[in-house]
Amino acid sequence: MTGTRVMESYLLANAESVVARARAGEEAALEELYRAFEAPVYNLARRICRTTEDAEDVLQETFFEVCRSIGRYREEGSLWGWVRTIAASKALMRLRRNKYRDTDELQEDAVGHRREDTALRMDLEAALERLSETSRAVVWLHDVEGYTHEEIAGMMGKTPSFSKSQLARAHQRLRRWLGEEVEV
Amino acid sequence: MTHLTMEGLLSLREAGLEPGAASAREHLEGCPACQAELDRLHQRVARIKALPALRPGRDRWPQTAARLRVARRARRQRVASLIGLAAAASIAAAVLVAPRGDAAGAGEQEIQAVMARSQALESALSQYHPEERMLDGRTAGIAQELEDRIAHVDRELEMADLLEHQSRNEQVLKLWRERVGLLDALVDVHVTRASNVGL
Repeated sequence: MTGTRVMESYLLANAESVVARARAGEEAALEELYRAFEAPVYNLARRICRTTEDAEDVLQETFFEVCRSIGRYREEGSLWGWVRTIAASKALMRLRRNKYRDTDELQEDAVGHRREDTALRMDLEAALERLSETSRAVVWLHDVEGYTHEEIAGMMGKTPSFSKSQLARAHQRLRRWLGEEVEV
Repeated sequence: MTHLTMEGLLSLREAGLEPGAASAREHLEGCPACQAELDRLHQRVARIKALPALRPGRDRWPQTAARLRVARRARRQRVASLIGLAAAASIAAAVLVAPRGDAAGAGEQEIQAVMARSQALESALSQYHPEERMLDGRTAGIAQELEDRIAHVDRELEMADLLEHQSRNEQVLKLWRERVGLLDALVDVHVTRASNVGL
């Protein structure tokens, strides 16, 4: 059983019957889907988006899409895997729409140098927050959600090399900001 | 000694598929510093995975459900518009061929006029793409109530079709007028909201 299948059976024990009812347009079943996956979808969105408002909008966008497209869900994949991919795409769309990235990169560079100078050790949450949205999204999708660089590149409309270099750059910064650098 | 770069260390986590992973592994076996760095990388990722799950501060299901109802309603309206056009055509044909008194003829013409107004309002509403917009809770509630009432009128219109000719016309005209009033209000809700947020 794959990781997403295990998580799905934990979140929604009777997934098959709920999906069948949801496909028939039963609103109670659609709400069951929402209640089952609300927390992990929001967590994914919030880890990628800058604000709680953006994450809540992504949550709503994701379930609007899930409910509209449930008829197109192919049951050979896990339901959670399908929902999660919609959520990741919506969160990345939100990043593109907000156009935070360019200015964000500059801010991150400035913060990085300042932290390096003062050698302050940062909390992991704070360090992740300091990353650019793109870098943080790649870290979360690759290291936590388990997407490959090819899959991330597909969702972002970039190349796998872009995803790899973003991940490496993010880890270099996290290492520095978390005070993990050692003299060799 | 040149140590592994972060990209090199990360490539070691990719199940040996990455180019250069073989030489990186070879270096790693003889380099305690890079082994320690790889350990730190693994620990860092484990710590990120172990971060507490963040939860939404408010329930977004009511807005999501309201938006779905709007989308469904819009789909039904598109279908109903097509059916309405067909019905209008059949009524027009009946007016032309059926011998009847002036009062009955005027009723049919009035019905056609109100149906045309209803279609114009639906067309105006569709230009705001209500199914693609997010609504705040209050607006969503108002829109939902109006849509539910329109759906109810639609059901009554289906029932009215079964009535005898004269009473049917009166009932159908009354219902179409009610439908136009509700659609007017629904257009107002969406247009006002769009104006308020500068869309």
